[in-house]
Amino acid sequence: MSKAALRQATREALANTSVCSALGKFADNYVIAREQAYRHKDFEGLRREVARIKREAAERMEELAIQFSREATRRGATVFRAATAQDAREYIARLAKSKDIKTIVKSKSMASEEIHLNEYLKEQGLEAVETDLGEWIIQLACQRPSHMVMPAIHMSRNEVAEIFSREIKEPVEPDISSMVKLARRELRKKFLSSWMGISGANIAVAETGTIVMVTNEGNGRLTTTLPPVHVIIVGLEKLVPRFTDIVPILEVLPRSATAQHITTYVTMITGAVPAVDPNGNYHEQKELHIILLDNGRTRMAGDPVFREALQCVRCAACLNVCPIYQLVGGVFGDVYTGGIGTVLTAFFTDPQKAQQVQNLCLGCERCRDYCSGNIDLPGLIGELRRRTVEKEGMSYVQRVIFEKVLVNRRVFHKLLKAASRLQKPFTREGKIRHLPLFLAGLTEGRSLPAIAEIPFRERVDKLPRPGRVVDRVAFFSGCLVDFVYPGIGESVAKVLASLGFEMLCPEGQTCCGYPARQVGLTNSFTELARQNIAAFENINARYVLTACPTCAEALKFLYPQLLADDPVWSKRARWLAEKVTDFSSFVFAHREKLVPFMIPLKQKVTYHDSCHLKRRLRVTGEPRQLLIDAGAELVEMTPAALCCGFGGSYSIKFPELSRSVLDRKLQAVLGSGAEVVALDCPGCQMQISGGLDHERRPIRVMHTAEILASCIAGTVQVQDGKNN
Amino acid sequence: MALNKELLPDRNRNLEQLYEEFVTRARALGTEVYRVSDLAKARELVVKLVREMGARKVALAESPLVTALDLAAAVAGAGAEVTGGNPRERAGAADLGISSFEMAIAETGTLVQDATEIDQRLVSMLPPAHLAVVSTRRLVGTLMEAIYSLAARGQIPGYLAFISGPSRTADIERVLTIGVHGPGRVVVIFIDEGGCAGE
Ligand code: SF4
Ligand code: SF4
Repeated sequence: MSKAALRQATREALANTSVCSALGKFADNYVIAREQAYRHKDFEGLRREVARIKREAAERMEELAIQFSREATRRGATVFRAATAQDAREYIARLAKSKDIKTIVKSKSMASEEIHLNEYLKEQGLEAVETDLGEWIIQLACQRPSHMVMPAIHMSRNEVAEIFSREIKEPVEPDISSMVKLARRELRKKFLSSWMGISGANIAVAETGTIVMVTNEGNGRLTTTLPPVHVIIVGLEKLVPRFTDIVPILEVLPRSATAQHITTYVTMITGAVPAVDPNGNYHEQKELHIILLDNGRTRMAGDPVFREALQCVRCAACLNVCPIYQLVGGVFGDVYTGGIGTVLTAFFTDPQKAQQVQNLCLGCERCRDYCSGNIDLPGLIGELRRRTVEKEGMSYVQRVIFEKVLVNRRVFHKLLKAASRLQKPFTREGKIRHLPLFLAGLTEGRSLPAIAEIPFRERVDKLPRPGRVVDRVAFFSGCLVDFVYPGIGESVAKVLASLGFEMLCPEGQTCCGYPARQVGLTNSFTELARQNIAAFENINARYVLTACPTCAEALKFLYPQLLADDPVWSKRARWLAEKVTDFSSFVFAHREKLVPFMIPLKQKVTYHDSCHLKRRLRVTGEPRQLLIDAGAELVEMTPAALCCGFGGSYSIKFPELSRSVLDRKLQAVLGSGAEVVALDCPGCQMQISGGLDHERRPIRVMHTAEILASCIAGTVQVQDGKNN
Repeated sequence: MALNKELLPDRNRNLEQLYEEFVTRARALGTEVYRVSDLAKARELVVKLVREMGARKVALAESPLVTALDLAAAVAGAGAEVTGGNPRERAGAADLGISSFEMAIAETGTLVQDATEIDQRLVSMLPPAHLAVVSTRRLVGTLMEAIYSLAARGQIPGYLAFISGPSRTADIERVLTIGVHGPGRVVVIFIDEGGCAGE
C-alpha cells in the first residue's frame, strides 16, 4: 500500500460516519464496563502473571511445541507443524479432498484469517462457511473483519438485513432478534451436514495437549462436536507450559475483550473424543488434526525486542482504547488491526503494509495501560519505525531536517528565528491562520500560534528571581516553550521564584529529540540526548524541571534506555534522569509555601490530561490539586483522558486524523462548560487552543504554570501565547 | 498472582455464601436457578418445569445422577416424551435437553461438565432449552479453584465444557441477543442431599 493509498483509505474511513460512531460509542462504554468487570480483581497482578507465563512460553517455544505434539498425539490427535501459511492451507485442502469433503463449517479463528484460508479453499473448490454471526455477515458481504473480537462492528442492522436478503433471496426485516434467528436456522443446516469443522484456539497447553477455546454463541462447540473431522489451527504463541497457566489468561481475556467475567462457553479439548457423523454413525474417536502454525512466530520469538509481542492474548483491548482505531477501524492494520495489529502484520502477514500502517499510531500510549499481556506496544511500534528507516532510509528533505538541522543547535535556532520573521505576513492576532505551501496541512481546521519574536532563551536574563534563594532548579525548556510559548517558561520562573527557587537555563540545551525518535532516526535522537546531558552536567542544580511531559519522558525514561549499552553515557543518562521532574509534581511537593500568596482564580477550569504526563509520568492528581489551591472551580470533562490528537509531526502527516481526534476532545471541553482549559503540555496547548480558535470559541487554554503565575500576588499580565 | 492460598479449595467455605454468590452471578447472565433438598424434590421440580416450559420432547444425557433421579419417569410424568434414535436425532429433535454437571463456580455463575461423551455435549447444544442438575456440594468459589482441582485429577477429561448462561451474541450493532447457536434458556437445579449419586 502506498502512502497516498493509505491516506485515501483513512479519508474514506473518516467519511464513513457509521464506522466512527459505532466504534466511538462502543469505546466510551467499554472503558466503564471493563472497569466494572475488573472490580475485585487485581488487573496489574494478573497481567504481570500473564506476561510472565507467555514470556516463558516464548522463550521455550520449540520445546513446548514438541511437548504439546507428544501429549496431543498420545490422546489421539494428529499434530502437523506448519512452517508457513501455505503449508497450513495445503494441509487442510488435502485433508478435505482425501475424504471427499465439500463443505466445511468454521468457527472464528484469527489464524485462519491470517493464512487467508477461505480464499484458498474457495480456489480449491471447497466451501468454508463461517459460523460466528459476525464472521458470517462479513463473509457474506465479501469483507474482512474490522475487529478481532467484534468482526462486524462497523455494520448497521440495515446493511446486515440487505446482506441476509441477498443470501436467502427473500426480503429480511432489519430486526436484530429475527435476523439472529435466521442465522441460527441457516447455519444449523450447515452444522448438521458438514463432515469437517475448523476452529481456532485461545490457549494450547503443552503439559496436557489441551486446546482452550472461548466463545459466546456456541458455534465453537458445534464446530468441534458435530463434524467427525475437526481441524484446529493454533499459532505457536498460544502455547503455555502448564494446565494451571490457563487461569490468569482466562481471567483477563473476557474481561478485557468484552467486559465479561467469563464467556458463555469455555471449551477445553484434550485429544480426540467420540463423534457421531451426519449419517448417524458413532465414532469412538473423531479425527482431530491440530495445526501448529509458525508463519513468523519463531522469528518473532528469536527477536530480543519483538518477542514481547508474543505475550498478546488477543483480547483487543488495545484496539478498543485506541483513538485512531476508533476513527478508522480496520484501515489501521491488516488482518490484525490496531497497535498490536501493526506489529503482527510486520511479522505474520504483510511487512510492506505494516510499514505504512505503523505511521498511523499517534503515540498516545493509551494501549499500553490496558494491555492484558503487559506489552509496550508504542515502544514496539517505535522500534518498527526505527528498523524501517534503517532499512529503507528516509526522504532527503526529512534527513536534512533531522540529521543536519535538528542536531545542529545553532543552525536549528537560527532557522526558527528566520521563520519568526518570515511568518509575519501570515500572522493575525498572534495566530497563523494560513501557512504557505508544504505546511498547509498544519492549519487544516486548526490555527497555529506564531513563532515567538523573542525566544525564551533570549529572555533568561529578565526572569523573575526569588528574594532569598533556597535552592537552584535547572529548567529544560524544550522547543515549544522556547520558540512558541516563552510565556510558559516565564511563568515557571515566577512560580519558582515565589517558592524561593532560582531557575537556571543551561545554554547548551536543545530539542529533546523526541521528534527524531518518532520518525525512527535513532542516531539523531542519540546525538541530541548527549548534547542535553552534557548541557545539564555543568549546572549545579538539585532538580531538572520541564514544563513539557514529552521532554520529561525523553529525559527521564528514554535517554537511559537509549544509552543503556554505552558504558560511559548510560551512567550520565541515569544521573540526569534521576533529577528530572515535571513542573506540576515539583510545585505540588512544595505547595504549602505557595498557597498563602495566591489570589483565588474563581473561574471554571477543566483539566486536560496529556498522554505522556498521565501514562508515562503517572501524574494526574497533582495539577488538579494545584488548580484547586489556586481557587479554580475544577470541572471534569467526559470522556476524560482523551488524546488531543497532536502527536508532534503526526498532525502534519495525518492532518485529518489529528483533526478528528481533536474534534472529540473539543466536544468534551465544550461539554464541561469551563472557561479555561488547563494542561501541562505545550504541544496539547497548541493543538487545543488552535482548535478552539478555529471554532472561534472564547475559551482560554493555559498551562498550569501560567495559571499559577497569574494567581500569585503582584502578577504580571498572563501570557497565553497570544501576546508574546 | 502467585499461588494464593486463600483462593485454593477450602472445604469449610460456607456453602450458603457460595450459593448466594452463584445465584447473583448466574441470574445476571440470564440463568434460572433453583435449589432443592433431595432427589425426590428434584424430580418433582423437573416434572413441574417440563410442564411449565411446555416441552414435548426431552433429550436426556445419561449419567449416574440422571439415573438416580429417574428422569425418564419424570419426563413421562410431565406428559412429555424422551427422544430416541442416534445421539444426533435424540438431541436434534428435542425442545429441552437435560444433563448433569460436576461442578459449579460461584464467582462466575459457571457450570462445569465432563462432556467427553457425545450425548452430554449434544444435549446441551442442540435443543433450544437446557436443564442442568448439579449437587450443591460441588460448588467451588473461583475459576482458579475449578481449574486447580481439574489439574489435580491428573488426566484431564477429553472435552470439558464450562457454561455460563444461555448462548449470546452482540455482533449486530452491539445489541445483546440471546440464543444464537446454543440454547436460549438455561435452568439449573442444585440438589443438596443425595445429589452425588455415583461418586
Ligand atoms: S499509542 Fe495510541 S495511537 Fe498508538 S496504537 Fe496505542 S492507542 Fe493507538
Ligand atoms: S496487545 Fe495486549 S491489549 Fe492488544 S490484544 Fe494483545 S493482549 Fe490484548
